[in-house]
Amino acid sequence: MAYPQDNLLDPVAIVNFAIDTGIFDFAYSAWGWPIAEIVHFVGLCLLIGTVGVVDLRILGFMRGISLPALHKVVPFGVLGFVLNVASGTVFVASSPDQYLYNPAFQIKMVLIALAGVNMMLFYLTTAGKLKRMRPLAQAPRRARIFAGISLTSWILVIAFGRVITAFRPPAWFWCGWCG
Amino acid sequence: MMETIAWFEQTGISRWVREDFFAYFILLIFHAWGMALLVGGGMAIQLRVLGVARQTRLSRWTGLFPWMKLGALLAIVSGLGLLAGYPAKALTNWVFALKFVLLIGAAWLTANIAKVSFDKGVEPVTLVKLQAALALLMWIGAIACGKLLLYTNSMLLTTDVIFEAG
Repeated sequence: MAYPQDNLLDPVAIVNFAIDTGIFDFAYSAWGWPIAEIVHFVGLCLLIGTVGVVDLRILGFMRGISLPALHKVVPFGVLGFVLNVASGTVFVASSPDQYLYNPAFQIKMVLIALAGVNMMLFYLTTAGKLKRMRPLAQAPRRARIFAGISLTSWILVIAFGRVITAFRPPAWFWCGWCG
Repeated sequence: MMETIAWFEQTGISRWVREDFFAYFILLIFHAWGMALLVGGGMAIQLRVLGVARQTRLSRWTGLFPWMKLGALLAIVSGLGLLAGYPAKALTNWVFALKFVLLIGAAWLTANIAKVSFDKGVEPVTLVKLQAALALLMWIGAIACGKLLLYTNSMLLTTDVIFEAG
């Protein structure tokens, strides 16, 4: 099957980038792909174990844990996310056509963007108020909505990440931006 | 043992996991959710014991245990489903056994750390912190073993062996 013309993203250029940077050789070395997968899953656990736990606390679970103090775990969630982006780049750059036109991957990226925008709005509008609240108090309603969106997005990011291999091109091919 | 596995591979449930488009992927999703809750929660507790977010009261972190147990339940039920699909693949691979040694070890260490030091009202002593660091490494090792199952198996089904022998 010939792919439609993609004038926005160029899989060949991406693979060339991967080859030039050594990412490609690493990915297809004996243990490259498995190592990237392990890093991806460790990052996932770090992210859920920190950001997910903060979300649960904001939603009203584990109220005994002081929320402002608990917030100190978030940098480890950022570390987890960085691990995910780094290992994810290995996958996508080494095999771009399998991801860019994959429905599950596209939905996963939209969900990550949603989680990102949600987090930005949370820190811009609501996080400051939480720092000033009594440590063991219930978080205000608006914060709970942010936390609910965050947790739901990350749960769905995991689910759609897990089914990427089920929706691989060419059997599946999504390219809304192709000519 | 291989005869039993060979028989089981032909049962309805085993074939369903292998042949149904949705079954395997739904099991994979629940397995990942379970892992995120169990190992993510475990990592969070270990980080706290090591001194991250130390203004939070240690004893209150037992509030994560029900979430970790929920994660374990999801992972075990979905894991049994995945095992039903490809029993020979997992049961003939020592990495599969190592994964459970690491998981049980990490869970046991976590429970022990909680029992020994959570109610003291002071930060844990160095020995406990070393245990937490070990548990953290064991969680990571368990994830590594789980992922490596895809790459270290010597067979997928018992019929692979019969085919090779024939």
